[in-house]
Amino acid sequence: MDSIRKEVLDFYRSLGTKIIDKSHDQDTTDLHKCITYIWDFAPDANKSSLCILVAGALGGRYDHEMGNLNVLYCFSSLRIVLLSDDSLIYLLPRTHHHEIHIQTSVEGPHCGLIPIGAPSRSSTTTGLRWNLNNTEMRFGGLISSSNIVVGEKVTVQSDTDLLWTISIKKL
Amino acid sequence: MLRLQSIILAKAKHFTVPSPSSLRLVKKRMIAMDLMHHSSCFLLPTIPLQRRPSLTTAQLHLCADGGANRLYDEMPLFFPQEDASDVRRRYKPDVIKGDMDSIRREVLEFYASLGTEIVDKSHDQDTTDLHKCVTYIRDSASGLDKSNLCILVVGALGGRFDHEMGNVNVICRFSYMRIVLLSNDSLIHLLPRTYCHEIHIQTSVEGPHCGLIPIGTPSKSSTTTGLQWDLNNTAMEFGGLVSTSNIVKEEKVTVQSDCDLLWTISIKKL
Repeated sequence: MDSIRKEVLDFYRSLGTKIIDKSHDQDTTDLHKCITYIWDFAPDANKSSLCILVAGALGGRYDHEMGNLNVLYCFSSLRIVLLSDDSLIYLLPRTHHHEIHIQTSVEGPHCGLIPIGAPSRSSTTTGLRWNLNNTEMRFGGLISSSNIVVGEKVTVQSDTDLLWTISIKKL
Repeated sequence: MLRLQSIILAKAKHFTVPSPSSLRLVKKRMIAMDLMHHSSCFLLPTIPLQRRPSLTTAQLHLCADGGANRLYDEMPLFFPQEDASDVRRRYKPDVIKGDMDSIRREVLEFYASLGTEIVDKSHDQDTTDLHKCVTYIRDSASGLDKSNLCILVVGALGGRFDHEMGNVNVICRFSYMRIVLLSNDSLIHLLPRTYCHEIHIQTSVEGPHCGLIPIGTPSKSSTTTGLQWDLNNTAMEFGGLVSTSNIVKEEKVTVQSDCDLLWTISIKKL
C-alpha cells in the first residue's frame, strides 16, 4: 500500500472493496501478491480453467515491467495474460506443445517469441512469416521479434519457456 | 513528456563527470577483472531548463525508419511558439536508416531535401532497424570519433513488446559497445559479465528505483553494493529472484556477476 492514494483507498473501502495490506512483505511484487491471493481464493474445481488478465502491465518503469514478466515465470502453471495498449504477452511453458488461435479482428499481425531468462536450443513453429525450425534462440543472438502471423493458427514447441507476444489492433 | 521514437544519438561531445572520464575503461585490477565506469551525464541539462536528452551535443543523429515520423511530428511540439518547419530543419537527423516500411513518404522527402542521408536496407529482413543503425555507426559513419562511443537510443521502450525486446536484444548483441536505451520513465544498459561495474548515480536526474535483470541466462552469482537490497553471491533467474523495485542508496553502485545483466534505473520527471 505504498502507492495507493489515501482518498482512493477510503473511497473503495467505503464501497465494500476488501483491502489486504501486505506491506510487511517486501520480497514479492504487488502483482505477485495479487496472483497468490487469486490462487488461494479460487475454488479447486476452477483452478485449471482460471485465466488472469493483467491490464496496465507494460510500459512505465522498466524494472516494474520485468517484475511483471517474472510473475509469469513464477506462476508458469497458471494462465496469466499481461496487457498493454499495444501488445499482449503470455508464457508458453516448455512442457506443452502450443496451438494459438489468432483473433484476427482484434490482434496481430505483429508478433514475437522471446526466450527471456534462458536460451532455447530448439524451437519450432508453424503459422508465422518467419517460422522457426529447430532453431536456436537467445539474447545476444536470434530472437523472434517483428514476426508476422500469416494464418489463424500458430503452433509453437520449444525446449524452454517462451514468451508469446502479439500486437493488439487499435479500435 | 513527449516520446521520441528510435532516434539514435551517437556520443555526446562532452560530459560533466566525476573523475576520471566515465567512458574510458579503467585498467584497475579488481578481483582479476577490469573495471567499467558508467554515468548518465547525458541526462544532465547543459543549459538551464533544457529538455533531455541533450540533442545538440551528439556527434551524429540517426533515425531508425519510423523514428523519423516521430521526430517530424513531435519536435515542433517542444517549441510551440516557433514555426514547425524551422524547428524541423534545426533538428534534422544526419541519417535515416532501416527497411523504410514505416517512414511516411512526405517525411522521407522532407529530410532528404535537407541533405539527410537515406540508407535503404529494405532487402535485409534479418535485423531490426535499430540493429542496422548501430551497425552503421560502428562500420560506416565517417568522421566520427569512435574511441569513446556512447549511443543513446531515445523512444526505445514502450510501444509494441516485440519491438522493445528486439531493442534489448540489440544491446545484448553489441555487448562490447555502450548503448543506452531511454524512455520517459527509465534507462537501460548492459553490464557485461567480463567487467566489474561502478555506476555513478546522477541523483538530480535518475533514481531511486532500479533493477538488475538476468535477461538472457540465469545468474549463479551476482554481488552488489549501494542498493537497498544488495545481492551477495546471490542467484537470480526468471521464475525465481529478479532484482526489481530495488532502491539506490548511495551515489555509487557496484555490480559484479557471472552473467550479462541489464541495469535499469528510473528517470526523474522534469
